[in-house]
Amino acid sequence: MFDLQSIRPGRRALLLASVFGAIANGAKAQTASPRRGGTMVMLVHPEPSTLAAYAVSAGNIPPVTTQIYEGLLTYDWDLKPAPLLAKSWEISPDGKTITFRLQEGVTFHNGQPFTSADVQYSFMEIAKKVNPNGPVILAELTSIDTPDPLTAVFNLANPAPYLMVSLSANYIPIVCKSVFEGTQPMQNPSANRPIGTGPFKFAEWSRGQFIRLDRNDRYWKPGLPMLNRIIARFIPDASTRSAALEAGEAHYAAYSAVNAADIRRLQANPILDSTTRGYGMTAALTTLEFNTRRPNLAKKEVRQAIAYAIDRQFLVDNVLYGFAKPATGPLSSVFATQGFYTDQVRRFDVPDRIEIANRLMDEAGFPRGADGKRMSLYLEINSFGEQWLRQGEYIKQALAQIGIDLTLRSEDTATWLRRCYTDYDFDINEPFYSAGADPVVGVHRHYVSSAIRRGTTFVNNKDYRNPELDRIMDAATRENDHAKRAELYHQAQQILVEDSPGAWLCEVQYVTIFNRKLHDHTGPLGAYQALDRAWLER
Amino acid sequence: MPDGLRRFARNRMAVLGAIVIAIIVLVSVLAPFLYPKGAFSLAGQPLQPPSLQFPLGTDALGRDVAAGVAEGARTSLLIGIAAALSAVIFGAMIGGIAGYYRGTVDIVLMRVTEFFQTIPAFLLAMLLVVILSPSLLSVIIAIAAVSWPGIARLVRGEFVALGGREFILASLGLGASGPRIIFRHLLPNCLSAIITVGSLLVATAILLETGLAFLGLGDPNIMSWGLQISAGRVSLRTAWWVCTFPGIAILLTVLSINLVGDGLNEALNPRLRER
Repeated sequence: MFDLQSIRPGRRALLLASVFGAIANGAKAQTASPRRGGTMVMLVHPEPSTLAAYAVSAGNIPPVTTQIYEGLLTYDWDLKPAPLLAKSWEISPDGKTITFRLQEGVTFHNGQPFTSADVQYSFMEIAKKVNPNGPVILAELTSIDTPDPLTAVFNLANPAPYLMVSLSANYIPIVCKSVFEGTQPMQNPSANRPIGTGPFKFAEWSRGQFIRLDRNDRYWKPGLPMLNRIIARFIPDASTRSAALEAGEAHYAAYSAVNAADIRRLQANPILDSTTRGYGMTAALTTLEFNTRRPNLAKKEVRQAIAYAIDRQFLVDNVLYGFAKPATGPLSSVFATQGFYTDQVRRFDVPDRIEIANRLMDEAGFPRGADGKRMSLYLEINSFGEQWLRQGEYIKQALAQIGIDLTLRSEDTATWLRRCYTDYDFDINEPFYSAGADPVVGVHRHYVSSAIRRGTTFVNNKDYRNPELDRIMDAATRENDHAKRAELYHQAQQILVEDSPGAWLCEVQYVTIFNRKLHDHTGPLGAYQALDRAWLER
Repeated sequence: MPDGLRRFARNRMAVLGAIVIAIIVLVSVLAPFLYPKGAFSLAGQPLQPPSLQFPLGTDALGRDVAAGVAEGARTSLLIGIAAALSAVIFGAMIGGIAGYYRGTVDIVLMRVTEFFQTIPAFLLAMLLVVILSPSLLSVIIAIAAVSWPGIARLVRGEFVALGGREFILASLGLGASGPRIIFRHLLPNCLSAIITVGSLLVATAILLETGLAFLGLGDPNIMSWGLQISAGRVSLRTAWWVCTFPGIAILLTVLSINLVGDGLNEALNPRLRER
């Protein structure tokens, strides 16, 4: 038996203290305090084909590379620029000069100090030349001056308001000049063994299995990172990925690493939790593109009728499993944060939409034939997965209501892209776009007439030409006054929705699933941001 | 033939198979009358479990699974029979020519046949569908293209075995032409083997078609069991009925065709007649 009386007073006090201490610890576990150490496992799907984030813009690369490379800036929850490698900045009143003061005491993983020469090299030699976003984001950047090692002055030909929202590590990673100098960027040994300034160092890539990142002990932010190691695991099968989370083997899965159909089940699991935060810069839309070269689709009434015929809420509920919301136009409502978005456009979600659609088809001169059909069209099925066939099957049923006989055509990715973006041999296409951080980055190219470029994928393949819209988007590219710029985008949305060169279906809402033991993982850029503060409960 | 029929009827399992196939054929014929709106129409609330209104439940888009199974039966049988028939005709032709003329013709044709046999059938079928772009016709062509070599080798073997027999030599001696000997004497004598193997080919063709549709390589405008299973796979753990019923339909069809094939083999194969 345990008898407190038999223990000497001094000991007794100590014992009691430790018992109470244990109780206090137990209570504290609810709100546990950050703990150093541990290995976090994240699921990335599909496995990246390369880690050359400075030259390839695939969405599955940044979850790994933003741990290693850093950008000049990061962004806060309002998507306003926040310091990272640049500690502060000034923009000249005419918008043509941006001066960045750089963080001191930063070193690359190879021991080289980080200086303004690396910034100059990363932008002028790497990003402008090999980064696919370079031609758009850096179009106005003419040169970078480096008056001292900790100052970089960007000289622009014209104001570029979108530049300041595109300087995070996932767009333009800062690389080490001495590693790249005199080599071909794509053939550089550091393409798949990246060397950056970030909180984690590249350690090992076992193809088909995992990438291992180790703690950067010399990271410039004091006391960070918290984790010892990050493992990015690649599991090709969707249900095995879900099972890995359920079993606690993996701690974190962002973007589409988890099948939408599994999300509800995972959310109900007591060891897991979920968040929809951190996707503010994604602005992903499911859309239809109409080939306006085709006589059937040349009239805007027909295109509007198609937009009216589709019940977007049905797609949200049954194709996207509820992880989406109906779209109103070419700009996602996530741009509301910046004031660019408006829903004051022609609305297709009205109660009598089917009657309106049928009336528009009559007005356009396409009466129903004896068999009730007005016209036959093809829909090119997006080849990037199952959900697009489901969407196509629904659209076929929806368009039958307004007398359009839709035939679905599903081909392999290469044939599909060639048909829609090179041969222009399509009626309706169903692509999926991410607008990026600014409309200039990922929206303009779908609608301006200068982006009718045969052979380039995901640009204006609709042959949509509207001089008024061209003028507005051109002005919005250069407009330095935020309010005026927002007004231009409101006009652009009204024009585009009225002309309907495409139909905008759903704003996809990504969900991050994480283990409850993992804390402080999701920042404003979600999975495209370093996990320097993330920590694991024991 | 009545003799053969009697022998077939003695095989209980084969008769059972024939009855099941008859039911499947009946369902596929009646499908357009039972479900006039078609299997793709959005019939009700998505993912409803089996009920009186929807005896096999509804899928993720609210389509009636029963309508899909009925229409899928038509697709599967149509593709299975068309592909098997084309494979049999083409295979018999190649095998017949090789087996009758022998020599260089034989060597060339058999090397070509072997070439097709060495490529994994399913991969070749996938490749062909991708190249031809998925449609009803391209799926039939692809399945036929991977199924004919077996028939060709079988027919060649039979022809070679029959070629030295007296009745063939007699016809040759009487001055009969090549085609006449092939069609009047050789083919009828190996018809029983062709029918048996051909019936089993229907089953393989249905499985191939289902596999292609499952991988999204079917005609997206035609309902098929493979398409249903691939659509229902994601919700397997929440809505078992979407995959299960088309799966049972495939199982029953393929099993029945195999049973009937065995029955035909016993009924038509002279060597098994004593049993």
